[in-house]
Amino acid sequence: MNDNDIRSAWQSYSQLLNDSLQLNKQNAEDITKLKAKSFLQSMQPIKIFTVAVGILWVLFVFTLLVGSWSYSSLFFKSAALIQGSISAIAIIIYLYQLYLIQQVDINQPVMAAQRIIAQIKTSTIWVTRILFLQLPIWTTFYLTAATFQNGQTGWHIVQIIITGAFTLAALWLFFNIKYENRHTKWFQLIFNGKDWSPLMQAMSVLEQVEEEKV
Amino acid sequence: MNETGKQATFLQVLQGHKGIIYKIANAYCKNDEDRKDLVQEMIVQLWRSFENYSDQYKYSTWIYRVALNVAISSYRKESKRKTIPIPGEIIQLVDQSSKLELNEHLRLLQQFISELKEVDRALMLLYLDERPYKEISEIMGLSESNVATKMGRIKKILQQKFEQHQTSSYER
Repeated sequence: MNDNDIRSAWQSYSQLLNDSLQLNKQNAEDITKLKAKSFLQSMQPIKIFTVAVGILWVLFVFTLLVGSWSYSSLFFKSAALIQGSISAIAIIIYLYQLYLIQQVDINQPVMAAQRIIAQIKTSTIWVTRILFLQLPIWTTFYLTAATFQNGQTGWHIVQIIITGAFTLAALWLFFNIKYENRHTKWFQLIFNGKDWSPLMQAMSVLEQVEEEKV
Repeated sequence: MNETGKQATFLQVLQGHKGIIYKIANAYCKNDEDRKDLVQEMIVQLWRSFENYSDQYKYSTWIYRVALNVAISSYRKESKRKTIPIPGEIIQLVDQSSKLELNEHLRLLQQFISELKEVDRALMLLYLDERPYKEISEIMGLSESNVATKMGRIKKILQQKFEQHQTSSYER
């Protein structure tokens, strides 16, 4: 099928639609009476809720840190500091998304609007990457100087292996969770399921839009 | 313009360009239920942005921009999402049997278009609707030369898909 055949097939389709498409005026009129939100504004409530919960969590962690400063172990202090900081960075990303939502104008040319919309969705992957960084602290926050002094050699070895493995896994995931790796088995295992498919599609759109910059 | 006048003008514009909305929804949604939702969403967003319409551009340019932006970013999940509470379709085929009249070439063309990447799909739809490169560049936000280059590449992809289909048909 050459270009002319393709165009004439499409013209016959357009003609068919011209003849048989009908606008239901009543339904269209009803739409003009709705107080509908913009399609991106519907994303705002859950993000605002997450920011609010996140701020409360960070306040709780830092209050706990300050309150227990005099008697808590160095491991607990470090864990609380890292956890609170990582959560704070995740909150900043959500605030950035809320800012981007305000910047979208769907009257804009497609490439410009899609760049911002895809950036909003794909920045979610940054939250996932950053949250993985806290993995090792969940294996150390309960340690004290006494556990080291009284622990047996076997215990020390197991603890080092576990913490080391979690640290390596956290760093490896942080650096490797990216769209280029979407076809790998481990990536599909983490991002399996329909909840992640919009994110994957957003990343694909962003990649198409970014190609134009090159 | 008062609210009634604005509404009447909007419905008139919609009536004149319903084919654009239907074709875009059809290209970005595989099943009927999703397409119905997408058409509703496009019309809601068109109405919301109608007061920002600038007569610097044609109505068609504005409709393509909004409808494509909504379609590309709809990122539908498999599960049913919350829809606007309007019963029935807004734009529908009155003669359902006409769906069956699509010839083999057109059916294949629609299938191959739906397999293109989202941005390429938008460009192909605009090209097939015989929009001039200048208007395509205004809708997409690409330079005219960029549009021409990309169109050449997309046409080649479609051509290859038709050739592959033909070869596999002969082999069967």
